[in-house]
Amino acid sequence: MINLRAYSAYIRSTLLLTLRDRTVLFFSYLFPLIFFIAFGEGFGAAQGAGAATQVIVMVLVLGVLGNGFFGGGMRATFERETGILRRFKVAPITPVPILVASIVTGLVIYMPAVFLFFGIARFRYGLAFPEHWFSLLFFLTFGVVAFRSMGLIVASVVNSMAESQIIIQLLYFPMLLLSGATIPLSALPEWLQVVAQFLPATHLYLGMQGILMRNESAMDQLAAIGALSLATLVCLFIGVKLFRWEKDDRLKPSAKLWVAAALLPFLLIGGWQAYSQENLRKTKMIDREQRRSLSWLIRDARIFTGDGEVIESGAVLVRGGRIEAVWPGRGPDPDTVRAELLEAAGRTLLPGFIDAWIQLPPETGDQQRALAALLYCGITGVGVGTERPGLLNELAARIRDGETLGAAITGFAPPEPPAGPSLAAREWLDSSVPEPVLLGRSLTQQVLPPDRRATLAQFMRGWRDRPEPGDARPAPNPPYSAAGLWNLPHGPSFHRQLQLMAAAGVEPVDILHRVTEGAAQRFGLENVGRIRPGADADLLLVDGNPLEDISATERIVAVFSKGERVNRSALLEH
Amino acid sequence: MPDAPAIAVRGLRKCYGDFEAVKDISFEVAQGEVFGLLGPNGAGKTTTVEILEGLRPRTAGDVRVLGFDPASETMAVKDRIGVSLQATNLPDKIRVLEAAELFASFYSRQTSIETLLHRLQLWDKRAAFYSTLSGGQKQRLALALALVNDPQILFLDEPTTGLDPQVRLEIHTLIEELRDQQRTILLTTHYIEEAERLCHRVAIVDEGRVIAIGTPRDLQQRILGHTRVEIECQHPLPIEPPNGWSAEFPLVFTNDRKQLTVAHPKPAHAVLELVKWVDACGAGLEDIHIRRPTLEDVFIQLTGKKLRD
Repeated sequence: MINLRAYSAYIRSTLLLTLRDRTVLFFSYLFPLIFFIAFGEGFGAAQGAGAATQVIVMVLVLGVLGNGFFGGGMRATFERETGILRRFKVAPITPVPILVASIVTGLVIYMPAVFLFFGIARFRYGLAFPEHWFSLLFFLTFGVVAFRSMGLIVASVVNSMAESQIIIQLLYFPMLLLSGATIPLSALPEWLQVVAQFLPATHLYLGMQGILMRNESAMDQLAAIGALSLATLVCLFIGVKLFRWEKDDRLKPSAKLWVAAALLPFLLIGGWQAYSQENLRKTKMIDREQRRSLSWLIRDARIFTGDGEVIESGAVLVRGGRIEAVWPGRGPDPDTVRAELLEAAGRTLLPGFIDAWIQLPPETGDQQRALAALLYCGITGVGVGTERPGLLNELAARIRDGETLGAAITGFAPPEPPAGPSLAAREWLDSSVPEPVLLGRSLTQQVLPPDRRATLAQFMRGWRDRPEPGDARPAPNPPYSAAGLWNLPHGPSFHRQLQLMAAAGVEPVDILHRVTEGAAQRFGLENVGRIRPGADADLLLVDGNPLEDISATERIVAVFSKGERVNRSALLEH
Repeated sequence: MPDAPAIAVRGLRKCYGDFEAVKDISFEVAQGEVFGLLGPNGAGKTTTVEILEGLRPRTAGDVRVLGFDPASETMAVKDRIGVSLQATNLPDKIRVLEAAELFASFYSRQTSIETLLHRLQLWDKRAAFYSTLSGGQKQRLALALALVNDPQILFLDEPTTGLDPQVRLEIHTLIEELRDQQRTILLTTHYIEEAERLCHRVAIVDEGRVIAIGTPRDLQQRILGHTRVEIECQHPLPIEPPNGWSAEFPLVFTNDRKQLTVAHPKPAHAVLELVKWVDACGAGLEDIHIRRPTLEDVFIQLTGKKLRD
């Protein structure tokens, strides 16, 4: 009895009616467009693919939610409450074509908006079309269909328009606020991030961000796609089961529990995420990608390019985590290159330093703190002296992916410093024992419990009493701090090492070359340690001129790690 | 089975929880017959009709529509009948022709939509949005939608309720046309005139039961007997009745003897006799009324209450 003709006629009619409904067009296009432009301009979408992507994902999630809950749910309730569905009840059709028509209509209304927003983002913010656009559309299809089904299930359990308003708001606002679409997930407290994993919209948001920011494909979103399709099936099943043609057919209050069944797939995926924490890591990485993708124009700086050359006044453009261009002189207008301006007159821009030999503590948490301290001090790469580099591979990957912020592990070295303790280490040994105060101007504080202080003092005395291994080697190549030996602090020791080398007579330009391009060459890396187009945007901006006074390297104004301007004070909070 | 009834209902019962909306309803509708269910609001008419249309399950009783059981063979029934419900709506922004085409697509049998819309005087309005139609046009469209599948039975639930008199007349004419085409129609109404004018047979329903069933004329005669003849004259009439007037039908006069009333089974014959008599007396005939008892009278007689409260 149910024929395709009935389906196609019903779908066609629903579509026509929806297109004639100005409020639908308003909520599907005009309203998101206003959001898009307001937030696009407000978030500085022009200054980075990350911000532009966040705005696009926000608008797309907003669209899916509106399409599902208001377009699907509210409309279905309205058609029942005003007696429209009742007219169809007498015809020989089942609820299935009605539900299918709503879902198909949702998709047809929604999809052009995707192209519209990417078109505008490209035209206005220079955002490239997504590389995995097919994956994006594929994934979005599951999202639209699932949310439309959820809207229909709301319609099937409420007994009035007012009730549907309430339930829809109860679903819509938490999802709007906690899914990451409006407030970045990484800005939420961790427990709330875990709660967010139980919301369907969070998976929609993270899936889209993964595809757009991290170049994942739809295949990487299988868990989300699974949950969305399972929700769709459950919703459609319940939707048919609870379908009511007229408002006089009241639903028993207990039938509302069926909605819980519709949310079951998300309880499962949320529970799994709360256990595996996978999405919490993904959240941090997406957040990092966004920060890394901002564009910066650093202007009027003295530029030490790493190879020993100095541009007395020049400009550097950072985009997408890399150095895009270097100009001698004033450089372009920041608006024309769509970048945030950082005025650097009287300052010197250098490649981030590489500390060629350090040791890391045994505990992962301490290792993270050490690498964060190094980054705080402008050291963007380190060589780690260790016997078992394999143990550090995971940490190295987490820093590379941006889950953890810290100096990159540039390479590994033997467990002993290549030429004995550094100058900084020797000075540390020679300083007053048993209460060593490092350098007088310590940037980080070593706080040790008294028992460890005694052990430390014993260690140091033991080392000091050892015979000197030949000459003092004032200039090991590449220079290193040997931080981590005898609790020598990570970061400040390196700057002290540079100062001691200068005091020993090494030219600052030589020292700076050796801790940037020289060290990069030592580790066989092409894209770090230099300021030139195409290199990673690992940068250090300091007050004054370290080429004249090497201690200027400690007067840090800004540190960039892979294009992200590091929030230095937040680094040491943990 | 050409002689099988189009609709057969025996001992129908329907309860909503503790409330018994239909207690005991039985009737049959023959092919080509226009059958009316007449009763006040809440009598159980709509519930009965909706059970026949396959929209509601029944609690007890036997129901056949075109030989099918609407509870178990719902789609077969829905596909063959046309229904105009009360209190339905269509989307504001649907056009007349679109609505007709949409509904036509649901059925296995179809009729020419163009002819149908012409017949219901909607063809000129075919591109109009539903929201712009007048009450009468909306009701005509409801009829059109009920006819898109060339139904074997047409169910009209309160087809003229809430319409103004002129539109009601218009709808009556349309239903009469359908009756003349030998369509089987089941119609519910609480308008006596509507049932009298349109229906071959009527069942009077009250509080979930059929209390009388028959042709409108049958019901009147069976229950109230005779038609009343009233005569008005310019001058008082004599006390003596006409020669040969049967004492079985007493003449009742007003005080001034200028008006008389009589109940008589053969009103035409009585009028002829009385007019001759008035003329012979020279009383000056002023006016004659022949008043048949209405279904309203029947209803009051049967239930002791008025149809509309």
